[in-house]
Amino acid sequence: MFSVWAASEVAKKEMGFWEMISAPIDISENGHLIDWLFNYTTAMNIFFFALVCIGLFGFSYLYSAKRNPKPYYTYGYKKNHVLITTIIGVAVFVAIDMNITRMSNNDYIGIFTNWPSEDEDIVRVEVLAQQWAWNFRYAGRDGQFNTEDDVVTLNDLRLPVGKKVVFQILSKDVIHSLYFPNGRRKTDAIPGRITRMWMQFNETGTYDIACAEMCGTYHYRMQAKLTTYSEDDYQRWLEESQYIAESTIDTENPDLFWGWEWK
Amino acid sequence: MAFFEQNIHHPPKTFLSKYIFSYDHKVIGKQFLWYGIFFLLVGGLMALMIRWALAYPGEPFPVIGQFLFPTSNGVIPPDTYAMLFTMHGTIMIFYAITPILIGAFGNFCIPLMIGARDMVFPLLNMLSFHIAAVSGFILLASLFVPLGAAAGGWTSYPTLSTLIGSPGTGQTLWSLAIFVLGVSSTMGAINYITTIITLRAPGMGYFDMPLTVWGLGLTAVLNAIFLPVLGAGVLLLIFDRVFGTTFFLAGAAATTGTGDPVLFQHVFWIFGHPEVYILILPAWGVVSDLLSFFARKPAFGAKATALSMTTITILSTLVYGHHMFTTQMSPLLTQTFMTLTMTISIPSAIFFANWLGTIWKGSIRFTSPMLFSMGVVFVFGLGGLTGLYLGTVTTDLYLHDTYFVVGHFHYTMAASVLLGSFAAVYFWMPKMFGTMMCEFWAKVHFWITMLGLNGVFMGMLFMGYAGMHRRLYNPFVYDFLNKLVPINEFTTISAIVMGFAQIIFVVNFVHAVFFKKEKASDNPWEVGTLEWTIPSPAPNYNFKEIPVVKCGPHELGNPALTNGRDFQYQTEELARG
Repeated sequence: MFSVWAASEVAKKEMGFWEMISAPIDISENGHLIDWLFNYTTAMNIFFFALVCIGLFGFSYLYSAKRNPKPYYTYGYKKNHVLITTIIGVAVFVAIDMNITRMSNNDYIGIFTNWPSEDEDIVRVEVLAQQWAWNFRYAGRDGQFNTEDDVVTLNDLRLPVGKKVVFQILSKDVIHSLYFPNGRRKTDAIPGRITRMWMQFNETGTYDIACAEMCGTYHYRMQAKLTTYSEDDYQRWLEESQYIAESTIDTENPDLFWGWEWK
Repeated sequence: MAFFEQNIHHPPKTFLSKYIFSYDHKVIGKQFLWYGIFFLLVGGLMALMIRWALAYPGEPFPVIGQFLFPTSNGVIPPDTYAMLFTMHGTIMIFYAITPILIGAFGNFCIPLMIGARDMVFPLLNMLSFHIAAVSGFILLASLFVPLGAAAGGWTSYPTLSTLIGSPGTGQTLWSLAIFVLGVSSTMGAINYITTIITLRAPGMGYFDMPLTVWGLGLTAVLNAIFLPVLGAGVLLLIFDRVFGTTFFLAGAAATTGTGDPVLFQHVFWIFGHPEVYILILPAWGVVSDLLSFFARKPAFGAKATALSMTTITILSTLVYGHHMFTTQMSPLLTQTFMTLTMTISIPSAIFFANWLGTIWKGSIRFTSPMLFSMGVVFVFGLGGLTGLYLGTVTTDLYLHDTYFVVGHFHYTMAASVLLGSFAAVYFWMPKMFGTMMCEFWAKVHFWITMLGLNGVFMGMLFMGYAGMHRRLYNPFVYDFLNKLVPINEFTTISAIVMGFAQIIFVVNFVHAVFFKKEKASDNPWEVGTLEWTIPSPAPNYNFKEIPVVKCGPHELGNPALTNGRDFQYQTEELARG
């Protein structure tokens, strides 16, 4: 309690305390599901933790040795004692655990791992993590990855809003984690296996992408930028990059062909 | 029930046989206590350096910075920062908390509380400490090798912890140290389990054991089962590093090999999740006992508490997958692990209710052990509830690897276990060293520590929710984290406050051990478990006569008592009105 107050005192200098500790703005289609679940759990937690505090501080006040010299001798096996304990146990489970398990499961199966089908109009991006940078690869005009017309960027991810984006993620060296603070999600990049994530962004602007998994000394520098465009702007950028890619590609350099066939 | 005669030998005479190569469980307990306190100070200092780097990036660490980091003019360099948080985690978990609660109080309390003269395997017990000492030496030595100590985080995930990510000897020595420590802890665990099963005093059933012994016993069971798993994991890691095997190396572009780095995560967390309970179970046991002792009434639903702890012990072995949600687990697995994780809250809620039931209508004496125990109830409440976010798949996708996780596990493992350890130290001090610690300074220590740790760990929860991820040398290179400068400063100041509060403890402790003239009485806290029936400090081989147990450990406040005391010893027939 004190720390909340004190932290707020410190924070007042520049911005409101709540503003400081609120999550970064959510620009994704489904991020609100995670926020909602977080808030639900928080509300429930505050309720049950308040009960613990009432018990702890209330009983400390009421039953101090001074105030209550004669303790009540009981083992707590009376019928109503057992009943109350059981009710508390069940109430916590029903009010919090069952609900958040159900909701989270529905979200995870129904949305986060409900992959867009092949014929949907989606953006496909291959992500290769390395110490300490992010490589992004777009299929280019032919729709095939790892060909000469691919658009490849370093630490610079550009995506259209209002479209589903599917990422296939791989790491070159150690385990990294592709983390979109503004999309509320992250997925590990693991050497030797491709992981997937899909997301849809709804707001244009420039945002941070981070590596969330410890990946060495310059882990903290493994930063990329996410730029979200309107559909038209995105097409314009893509065409321009396409042109540059095609005119500058060195087909002799095998390092440029780190992509893989879309799986 | 003793299956064999427990012989009394003469007390050792020489310094070496008395203090270094002692078979006496009490001395070994004290050795572990000093060992743990030493590493607690080392790990704590590292924590302060980490916090300093986060709040004031690029500024030299005050006072000792110039000596420790001369090449960078006192500023902590990024590679050293990675070593610091790796070693901080390793030291705190394996070399500070484990030795204090399990090593020190496990050794000291189990025989005394069950009415035995020593552990069942005294030689194994002695070896367990000496092997732990070797392990600690290897770990500290790894700080001084070329390229420095291990820097892959305490989880040391491959392939970062293989030669690809950490070419130095430090990581190999780290793995070796953990392996050796695993051997030591397994020895201790076997000893504890056997002692509890075979050496309980006549008349003492399992439910007549104090809950402290329950907690320590369950911890020992988990240790005996899961430390070998970790041992196997780090051994394979050593093989990958030294002998060129490829258990954890996979064939992506830059690497060769046919193994799987995720395999290590499975092995690590099969051990790692029970490890959390290995650390907290003794604290739960101690708190359950102390709340009853100082509320002057029997522990509320003691059997239910014991069985809840047992249930959690079993469940803890089934939930490890929630540490790996972001590796893209199949929804079938996430579902299973999430549901199993959530069921842990039923037994947890039950013993929380029992703790509150114990102080309900009690006659509470606010001594320092009691304050620390109530502190555990408070911080573990916070720690347990914040775990719900992380056991839930979708919120974990956001919070995984952020400071929210750091705040959560510090509340459960650091705050609760630390407060529990302090409660135990203050409580058993008279039986261990024959003197009492100063109550006034103990209370000052409690309140400052409590303020400091809530500031630190609450701050971590907040900055984690704001998106700040873990293990960053300088979080403020990210635009979205720039707003978190004030809360990072606040957290660091809280950490410094908490750190300095421990000086009070150390001075109080050292004074009581070495300089205090005034001897403690045999039973200063007026409780009835077996260790308080013998003189303080506990004599050679504890019990002249093996006690016969006639009632439970929490017989306090019985109105039928007529002998002028409000408690009765476990060796006395239960008073009936």
